[in-house]
Amino acid sequence: MNGVLKDKKAFLAFLLPALLFYLFSVFYPIEESIRLSFMKWGGLGEKKFIGFQNYIHLFSDKVFYTAFFNNLIYLVIVVGIQILVGLLFAVLLTYLTKGVSLIKTLYYVPCIITTVAVTQLFRSMYATQPVGIINQILNAVGLEKFATSWLTNVKTVLVCVSIPEGWRYTGMYMVIFYAALISLDPEVCEAAKMDGANAWKTLIFIKLPMIKEVLLLSLTMVLTGALRGFDIPFILTNGGPGNVSELMSTYMYKKAFGSNQFGYGSAIAVFIIVESMLVVGVLRILFTSKEERNERRIRKNARKALKGKQKRQGA
Amino acid sequence: MKKKKGKIILAVVVGIFLFIQLYPVVWLFMASIKPSVELATEPFALPQNPTFVNYIDIFNEGSIFRYMWNSVKVTVTSILLILVLSSTAGFALAKFNFRISKPIYAFFTFGIMIPVQITLIPLFCFYSDMGILNSPITLVLPQVGFALPLSVMMFVSFYSFVPNELIEAAVIDGCSPYGAFFKVVFPLAKNTVITVASMYYILIWNDFIFANTFISDNKAKTVALGLRDYVGAFGNVNWGMTFAAIAVTILPPMLVYFALNKYVTAGMTLGATKG
Repeated sequence: MNGVLKDKKAFLAFLLPALLFYLFSVFYPIEESIRLSFMKWGGLGEKKFIGFQNYIHLFSDKVFYTAFFNNLIYLVIVVGIQILVGLLFAVLLTYLTKGVSLIKTLYYVPCIITTVAVTQLFRSMYATQPVGIINQILNAVGLEKFATSWLTNVKTVLVCVSIPEGWRYTGMYMVIFYAALISLDPEVCEAAKMDGANAWKTLIFIKLPMIKEVLLLSLTMVLTGALRGFDIPFILTNGGPGNVSELMSTYMYKKAFGSNQFGYGSAIAVFIIVESMLVVGVLRILFTSKEERNERRIRKNARKALKGKQKRQGA
Repeated sequence: MKKKKGKIILAVVVGIFLFIQLYPVVWLFMASIKPSVELATEPFALPQNPTFVNYIDIFNEGSIFRYMWNSVKVTVTSILLILVLSSTAGFALAKFNFRISKPIYAFFTFGIMIPVQITLIPLFCFYSDMGILNSPITLVLPQVGFALPLSVMMFVSFYSFVPNELIEAAVIDGCSPYGAFFKVVFPLAKNTVITVASMYYILIWNDFIFANTFISDNKAKTVALGLRDYVGAFGNVNWGMTFAAIAVTILPPMLVYFALNKYVTAGMTLGATKG
């Protein structure tokens, strides 16, 4: 980020179009959401300022709590599938010698299929009428008692709307982890082997810590992605039956566009943003170890000292 | 001996994973060539009497062409805008020597955290005030805005590999900063351009949430919305036609993906590892 050009006008000419576009399409809506979250507004007519009323309502709204806890379960399932399966498969792939690029290519396919297709697919797999493949398998292996109407059973529906989301992006994280793993210096692993570490230990104590940065970024992407989970639950069950599979963003959508409570919907939207930012912040702190923080401070102090020295010499 | 056994187990596990990933896709194409009776009674068996009647039906019905044309319009406009805006802004941030570049870059990357749902209510109000709901531009605006953080990041990370001396030389030879960009730097960024374009092509083509919010008019529907509209005689979903339509509409992203998959996955990995 240390360029050479110094022409101010040209700098602005290159930067401003994107910056203005970005401000207008991303930050103007944020500002508007925050503003609307203090209003009562039915979509038509006057907006009425009501202070923190929407937020007070939010924290006493039972459905909101349901949506919040559902979202946590959804998050655990999606993170579990995407990160763990993605990582496991990436590790397996590093041991493979032939056909890696073909497998990578094919494994990624679910990521490029439209959500509507993914949900229709899972809908017919979960179905009871005609009997979907999941119930068919259960019947075939003699577990009829577990066969159920997956999407209307209050006990199973939340898990059932989480799985497709986890499944479809696993390939993406696999590709990311694989790229990080094969870029590691093989000599380090060789050295670990010489010191008597087995494959498992090398993975846990050497390889994973070395791709920490990538893990952090992937986790950030998965977590914020899961907090805003919308498409699949919305199309599959629309939060139903009742509010059993309601997520925060489907609830926001229903409130705003279903019952025209735009102010209340905005309050939920603001909550989702704040929550995403908190999660990212906590992750950053968790992943920066104590030594690293110390190291960073030392480096900063050293830079300051150096600058001071240069200044004094200059004077 | 032990090593060979391990290899076989590995191959089997990889095979099972691959089956789980691909089965639904294969099933989709199989379902689309089944006659409706067979689809209802034997949805998971191999097709016994393959037929293309579902495909003929959707082509005769014709709305699929309109959906696809709408999606093409939105996707192409968005990608052109993304490329123009992020390649220039990336250049400004990477190759100009101003102190403000760093905070602005951080400001762009901050956008990766913002959930897209936040825009739905404000933009819906804005569009309906302007009276432009149901026009393709309603989808282009948020698509481009939310693509900028990652695409700017990708261009900055590419430009930082272009040696500063190259630009200095161009300036000494009498190039203006604009000339340096158009004649020297941008032509080098071909790979980044393809990566950004192919990645967002797939994401934008598949968009559901913006289309579902801002588009309600049948004439303006994109593929992701249109797919929900294949309804049979008694108001039930016509699954055969729906699956055929899905198969047709996922073909364009599939083709791009198989032709350019190196670039598509490069984009995802680069975006993730360069953070």
